[in-house]
Amino acid sequence: MPLRPARVGRVGVIRAPVAKTAVVAAAVTPGRGAPVAKTAVVAAAVTPRVGRRRI
Amino acid sequence: MTEVSLDELGPVDYVVVEFPAGASNFTGEMAAELLALVDSGTIRVIDALILTKDADGNVEATELSDAGELGELKAIEAGLGELLAGDDVEHLAAAMEPGSTAGVLIWENLWAAPFASAARRAGGQLIANGRIPIQAIIASIEADEATATAGG
Repeated sequence: MPLRPARVGRVGVIRAPVAKTAVVAAAVTPGRGAPVAKTAVVAAAVTPRVGRRRI
Repeated sequence: MTEVSLDELGPVDYVVVEFPAGASNFTGEMAAELLALVDSGTIRVIDALILTKDADGNVEATELSDAGELGELKAIEAGLGELLAGDDVEHLAAAMEPGSTAGVLIWENLWAAPFASAARRAGGQLIANGRIPIQAIIASIEADEATATAGG
């Protein structure tokens, strides 16, 4: 299906080709090479007062 | 698109969600969650497109309205602003694997708009923003753990 005419010939808002980000699911989903424990560790790191020391 | 004063506009973000060939499992859950964010006033969807990239790398873009039965997404489609231009399609599709389909979503973070306006009125100006990948958090924690282990 073609794009709507209003989209054609306009200056875009995404200035450059987008690079693929690392697939987050692989890092936080239980399975080979991605221990489920990591999810809990990350959650702890971003929880108030439980987080890590800065120095 | 609803007219919004520039001063009241919240930050605008985008995602490209790729579905590798044969891996999609649409149950309506995504649409329901998106609608919940819209209904709660958390976000306003500005644009949406569906991209497909064939095995040879050719990209085709489909308007949401041309994507078949929209169901709950019909309400969202009616308010789209068509922000993306033809050039944007190529730029966004650069991240896609051949043979995949992807949904592109552009939205305004309505939840952040009042704070952003207040910051501007206070004389502040945005000089940096971004997202911290979960991988970076994991890497940082693992580095800490390694240091603690080596030190202990």
